[in-house]
Amino acid sequence: MIELNNTTKRYDSLTAVDNVSFSIRKGEYFALLGPNGAGKTTIVKMLLGFTRPTSGSLSLNGLPSTQADCRTAVGYLSENLHIPPYLSGWQYLQRCAELLEISRSDAMDQCRRIVELIGMQGREYTKVNTYSKGMIQRFGLGAALIGNPKLLILDEPTAGLDPIGIREIRQLLESLRHQGMTIFLNSHLLSEVEKICDTAAIINRGKLLVKDKISAIVKDGEALEDVFVMLVKG
Amino acid sequence: MKMKKALPPIIRIAKYTLIDEVRQKSFIIMFVICAIFIFLVRGCYQGNYTVNGQFLDAATVVRAVSKVTFHVIGAGVMLMTALLSMRVFRRDRDDGMQSCILSKPIARWQYVTGKIIGMWALSVLFMFILHSIVFLITSINLQVVMPEYLIASMLCSLNLLFVVIAVLLLSLLMPDIVAFLCVMGIGVAGLVADGISALSQSQMAQAMLQQPGAHPTSDLTVWKSIYYLWPKLSGAQQSASSLISSEAFHGFGPIYPLINILLYCLILGALLFRRFGKEDIV
Repeated sequence: MIELNNTTKRYDSLTAVDNVSFSIRKGEYFALLGPNGAGKTTIVKMLLGFTRPTSGSLSLNGLPSTQADCRTAVGYLSENLHIPPYLSGWQYLQRCAELLEISRSDAMDQCRRIVELIGMQGREYTKVNTYSKGMIQRFGLGAALIGNPKLLILDEPTAGLDPIGIREIRQLLESLRHQGMTIFLNSHLLSEVEKICDTAAIINRGKLLVKDKISAIVKDGEALEDVFVMLVKG
Repeated sequence: MKMKKALPPIIRIAKYTLIDEVRQKSFIIMFVICAIFIFLVRGCYQGNYTVNGQFLDAATVVRAVSKVTFHVIGAGVMLMTALLSMRVFRRDRDDGMQSCILSKPIARWQYVTGKIIGMWALSVLFMFILHSIVFLITSINLQVVMPEYLIASMLCSLNLLFVVIAVLLLSLLMPDIVAFLCVMGIGVAGLVADGISALSQSQMAQAMLQQPGAHPTSDLTVWKSIYYLWPKLSGAQQSASSLISSEAFHGFGPIYPLINILLYCLILGALLFRRFGKEDIV
């Protein structure tokens, strides 16, 4: 489903991603972990074709990431999500559905179902400039779910959410597992990752340190956090 | 088949661009100012005008005033288009719409085409409404029907396409306000050059050029080439307005400025697609 082959991204003298290779199979719940500035978001941006790799290649759904068609059935939630302040959450979801060429009646049904799923009933028609960061994040996740994507790329999906919101998002992501969805998760919340994902990769300063099943990365009696700190600090 | 599949996202992006721009306060303010101007111009039609002691007939006055109004509206809408276009990409980036659109199976060329069409449609519509108000005033109040006024308005829309593409391209390379000023500078320089060219064709200027010690011919050829190749924004507007007054067009002929602008649109458009293709999406 996702493949990175010797991918490198340089910004002048800074190497953001250094010769990284890994692949993610269909139906896998994958977490990309790393400290701030490790290159996680750069990998996501390269996957979505937002930026081009300096060398190497990336593919989504078997197609090069430079082709627009590779993003068919892909939902994306960005790290610093912004929604036009003059739109309502409902209008934003509708726009996302229209861009995916979903018919009007289907779009209405899907948006209604998603508003319920993200727990925003009653607030969907108010303007985005009245929303909190957490509410915007929920609508962003809702927008990523429009069109029943097969792959979800989530960059810090729980950023700005309170503990109850984090739990709700976790439960929502767990419920999507039964639909055979593949998830690519960028997150700092290691405890959440441990609960949701089956596989993880840890990168630091653009280099891939490990990529394996979480059960293989975390030994008995250890927490993912301990392994993460140990690997990153060397 | 491929083109058929590519069209719906372009139309949607164009629609969102149009809707989002109309929501901007700056657009509403500019629209109100222009509407006030048009209604103030009404008074100019009702005066009695004399040239060399002779009264001008109503039809001549109407055509002359309408032509001036035509140019003022054309220039004003160009200014407004440049002002709105300079922030199109930035606003989309800041509002998160750029990453939202491009994370869908939509190619960058479709996004840019949608933006160009949206901005162009908005400015053409805006200019056409203003020109139509003048057309209605002259047709209903003054009984002078000038269908060519509306045709001229449509021809002038080519200038707006140039402004949209040029400002969008330059806004990717430099600060927005500089991009706006550059495109306005191109327009003003063209206007001044047209003025100088018209003056140089006068008898006095011809006599001065033939005097010994005047500028060498090679210098003039360079300037003439630059003038010839410079974006003919005012020339295109003049050639469109020549339809209104049925005057003979002086200069390169009525078609050249339009072809010049069309070629610039194609060249700058190609550069815009190429530049945006390399842009990092935030």
